[in-house]
Amino acid sequence: MYGNATLDDGALPITPRSSGAAWLRLPARMLSAVSSNRKAVFGLLILGVFTAMAIFAPLIAPYNPHGTDFLPSATPSRDHLLGTTSYGQDILSQVIWGARQTLIIGGLAGLAATLLSVLVGVSAAYLGGIADHILSVFVDIFLVIPALPLMIIIAAYAKGGGMWVLIGVIAITGWSFGARQIRPQALSLRNRDFLESARVRGESSAYIILFELLPNMISLTVAIFLGAALYAVLAAAGLQFIGLGNADEISWGTMLYWGENNEALMTGSPLWIMIPGACIALLGASVALINYAVDELGNPSLRVTRRKRVRRAPRT
Amino acid sequence: MRPSRAMFPVTRKPFWASLVSSVLVVILLAACGSSGGLSQSLAVAPAMHLGAAPHAKMGGTVIIDNVSGSLWTCGFNPYGPSSAMLAAGIVYEPLIYINPLNNAQQSWLATGYTWGNGNKTLTFSMRAGVKWSDGKPLTAADVAFTFNLMKKFSGLDLQAVWTVLSGVRQQGNKVVFSFKQPAVPFFYYIADQNYILPQHIWSKIKNPVAYNDSKPVGSGPFLMKSCSPQDITYVRNPNYWQKGKPYISEVRYPAFLGNQPGNLFLAQGKANWGGQYIPNVKTYYLSRDTTNRHIWYPPAGSDVLLYLNQTVYPLNIRAVRQAISYGVNRTKVSQLGVYGYLPPANQLGIIQPTWQSWYNKSVGAQYGASYNMAKARALLRSAGFKLGSNGIFQKGGKPLSLSLINNSGYTDWVAETAILRDSLRAVGIDVKLQNISGNDITAREGSGHFQLLYYSPTGGPTPYYQYRQLLYGANSAPIGQTAASNYERYHSTTVDNLLDSYAKTSNVAQQHAIINQIQAVMVRDVPVVPVLQNVNWFQFDTSQIVGWPTPQNPYAAPAPYDYPDWEVVLTNVHQK
Amino acid sequence: MAVIIRRLEFFFITLWAALTLNFILPRLMPGDPALAMMARYRGRLNPAALNALEVAFGLKTKQNIFQQYVSYLNNTIHLQFGTSVTYFPDSVIHVVFQALPWTLALAGITTVISFVLGTFIGMIVAWRRGGAVDGLLTPGFVILSAVPYFWLGLIAIYVFSVSHAFLPLGFGYDEGSTIQLSWPFVKQVLAHATLPAITIILTSIGGWILTMRNNMLGTLSEDYVRMARAKGLSSLRTMMLYAGRNAILPNLTGFALALGFVVSGLLLTEIVFSYPGVGYLFLQAVDNEDFPLMQALFLFVTVAVLLAVLLADVVNALLDPRTRSHS
Repeated sequence: MYGNATLDDGALPITPRSSGAAWLRLPARMLSAVSSNRKAVFGLLILGVFTAMAIFAPLIAPYNPHGTDFLPSATPSRDHLLGTTSYGQDILSQVIWGARQTLIIGGLAGLAATLLSVLVGVSAAYLGGIADHILSVFVDIFLVIPALPLMIIIAAYAKGGGMWVLIGVIAITGWSFGARQIRPQALSLRNRDFLESARVRGESSAYIILFELLPNMISLTVAIFLGAALYAVLAAAGLQFIGLGNADEISWGTMLYWGENNEALMTGSPLWIMIPGACIALLGASVALINYAVDELGNPSLRVTRRKRVRRAPRT
Repeated sequence: MRPSRAMFPVTRKPFWASLVSSVLVVILLAACGSSGGLSQSLAVAPAMHLGAAPHAKMGGTVIIDNVSGSLWTCGFNPYGPSSAMLAAGIVYEPLIYINPLNNAQQSWLATGYTWGNGNKTLTFSMRAGVKWSDGKPLTAADVAFTFNLMKKFSGLDLQAVWTVLSGVRQQGNKVVFSFKQPAVPFFYYIADQNYILPQHIWSKIKNPVAYNDSKPVGSGPFLMKSCSPQDITYVRNPNYWQKGKPYISEVRYPAFLGNQPGNLFLAQGKANWGGQYIPNVKTYYLSRDTTNRHIWYPPAGSDVLLYLNQTVYPLNIRAVRQAISYGVNRTKVSQLGVYGYLPPANQLGIIQPTWQSWYNKSVGAQYGASYNMAKARALLRSAGFKLGSNGIFQKGGKPLSLSLINNSGYTDWVAETAILRDSLRAVGIDVKLQNISGNDITAREGSGHFQLLYYSPTGGPTPYYQYRQLLYGANSAPIGQTAASNYERYHSTTVDNLLDSYAKTSNVAQQHAIINQIQAVMVRDVPVVPVLQNVNWFQFDTSQIVGWPTPQNPYAAPAPYDYPDWEVVLTNVHQK
Repeated sequence: MAVIIRRLEFFFITLWAALTLNFILPRLMPGDPALAMMARYRGRLNPAALNALEVAFGLKTKQNIFQQYVSYLNNTIHLQFGTSVTYFPDSVIHVVFQALPWTLALAGITTVISFVLGTFIGMIVAWRRGGAVDGLLTPGFVILSAVPYFWLGLIAIYVFSVSHAFLPLGFGYDEGSTIQLSWPFVKQVLAHATLPAITIILTSIGGWILTMRNNMLGTLSEDYVRMARAKGLSSLRTMMLYAGRNAILPNLTGFALALGFVVSGLLLTEIVFSYPGVGYLFLQAVDNEDFPLMQALFLFVTVAVLLAVLLADVVNALLDPRTRSHS
């Protein structure tokens, strides 16, 4: 239980369910719950628009985002709804294409960080004893060490590596928070009857973890993924903004980098910086809103709130 | 030295800015030819009549806006790589001032010099009556001390003058420099790029390389009055040897961490002397006060070039190299990559208009237009390449595809190479960009493990310096070993001999004849493809201070980061 | 006491881990600080200096890796980080100490403001849960916390520069003034810190609000709070003394998580505002491949965060009766 006394953030949902078949039922339940939440719907809507932009970029984007074929630093017009960059590129096309890499980084880095969180968190809880102790300290260390400086150092050494370096760096520095949340929940589930009975049935540890333990933590895992994805989007934007990505790739972060390099705000092309930044903020907000809803869903005391609100409604 | 251009948008100082003042041509000029030459005394203009009116108004403050990219450490060691730009010139002065814009010489601490002994001896006559700011006289002994200190502490010898010198000694009010062999181009480094130190102070410093020099005692026109990490204030030296100068009473030098705050400061009119790369300078800076604000970006020093590795296929084929030169749309690279601020270069390697007098017109006419797609394609066909259906030339089933390495930290270069790639692709040459770290660039250019390299040499006041760095055989090395500056591994005995004979002569006509021949080689062999010309960044505000260098009166390199030039500017500007 | 000793133990283990990470990273990665320095001053440093630099950077390979490690730890304990590439010949430690106070002050002040304000707002929105305040403020701040720090800074500078700012747009203090302990200077410092501080607070407060709100909702459902309400104690009193006090403890321990995040955001904010702290220094170190400086900064920032976490732990241990009785 090392470190638990201090770093426990107190808001961790522990809502075990006792069936292996939860794999199937839970997502459906979550989806229906989420869809009845206005904030979540709003978040999902934004996320959906960006995802569509990313997937259909070649069809939607009016021009080649790299092409330097137009009048530089043009103000918005019918041909260029957001104007052009100082290199004569169409800003709208860049925004649309930029969604692709931004989402890929957010998704993959978030996924990688979540996998690490679950792996370490569950291992610590399931193994117990000295292994738990060591892993917990390990998690706490990563939690406390400031991530951005560490990311900057690693990215600086591996400069020019582009998207994959960013994903790796973000995953390495972004998993500890999730592991910190997973462990106590896994721990509380460890000694539940349904796991005990599986053990008695003689199931392997891998089976128990995969088919008994994890399905019961799916809402927490989803929350962790969303948190990690949000972190990844913001961290990648920050790193690319200071020039640690591959500037030849197009993403919202590199757009900010080029825009700022050409002082777009001060030289009459403010949209070059405002739009990609606003897109990052919107994407982040959509993820945060969905996360917020998932959190409400998974945390009993927060759900109390929801019920109370309904009850109070007539009075207000 | 200017901090190298950062990759970060707001810290970024464009690469070219770092070049103009860079003086680190060390090993490059190390091996110079031997044997006789002309012995002559060159006329040196007296220091007094440069820019300003004889009875200029006294007083006023110049505020410099130049992104150093770092806070001040309040050290003023003129031989410290990060402090030189704060002390060299304005506090510690050179022997002779050489204007990089026209190679004109002005006497400074030395009143004149003579070459002797077949250009193996250089004798400076020292000015009488010059005093250090603590009142002690500056003598020939200080000069001899300074250069001998560099011999003892090679970390100070940033121009590697001791690679050609054999001794420096005082002779009354003269200082005699003896050379191992004639090395006339080193005059520029000895006279203009080294700064005389007071013996009575520096002889007591144990390690002058690491010496901070927080309270500098110099001979220059200004005294360092106060310094904080964010700001330095210099005040007029009342006992300066140029009587009546400087006219202004104070110079302030705020530290700017990045371009963005620096440009904002300048745009808001808080500084009157800028050395900034300002994107879209018309909107951002000039439009806010069209009567008093001006810019002048004179090209100087060197080109930004594509180095074509001569040892690898297909760049070992001359026609391919020539095709690349014709296939690069330099105008578009200039216009889109850097707002046209860096003008397109020519294949001759002559900076225009700065070095116009060196330009070989007949070679220039023979070369023709710098961008000629048809000619580029014809050259490729002549070398046996055929245009494939994908629009890329090929030979033997192999597409004409080249990789280009570039420093990912230099934002402008990243943008320029992207445009360059598009322009070569339009011709039918596929180029793959590899933006890598500065460390990797250093390693790979040195060892020759690249096909195309986008880079810039340091250059100097005449075309010779750039040519020598780019073309001299001794600056090359076999692949895998470190080349000093001839990264493309060009070898020509003819060119080596030409460069050697230039080093031996102080005769200007002979120098021109040599440079003329090298220009023909540049066009014929295409060892490198000059793309853009580096410029000197200069914004100035005439609402209070006038007398700045102009195209009509280019009395000094005008950027505030250029040393020792900034002292020349600061001794000439005055209140309106 | 036992709790505090355990926290000290954790402090040192983490410190050791950070130190070790700092030692391993440059050895895993390509490039070498001595060569980087040579590269940066190409031709300006005598090749013979490479040897000296390698010794200075602890790269002299005569030692085996273990000996290197020991001498690295020894050097670090004695604050010997060698020479900065960027500020050569200045020492890394001098450069760092010049910048660190600015960052610590900005980080400290903004974190405290953000924490106090966020906790208070969190308390109110939880108390008034489901109300208009909760319905608007909470998602509002959740969205704000997803805005990139640096972008908000850029926009702030843009807006203020267009509207002829009354607030300074960058730097730690006015150009031309010298650092001194006088009221006019302190005023300058405060004015210059305003915009960066506001952007940091706006983007970081959401986290505090949300955790405090959630903790509070937890405590509000506890029996003792219900009892207090049933007994008819005033709302404010119950909110502050009963629910709030207990909800704040875990929030205090959440400090660790938030601090690392704030420091990270702070680095970017400093970069945008040209604030003379370590953020900018860090970036410069990156630009110049100044690994000695980079590593020292990383270490100092980590130690600062660790100390703050330790402090929060100690305060927590002193306030929380449960941890007291545990020991």
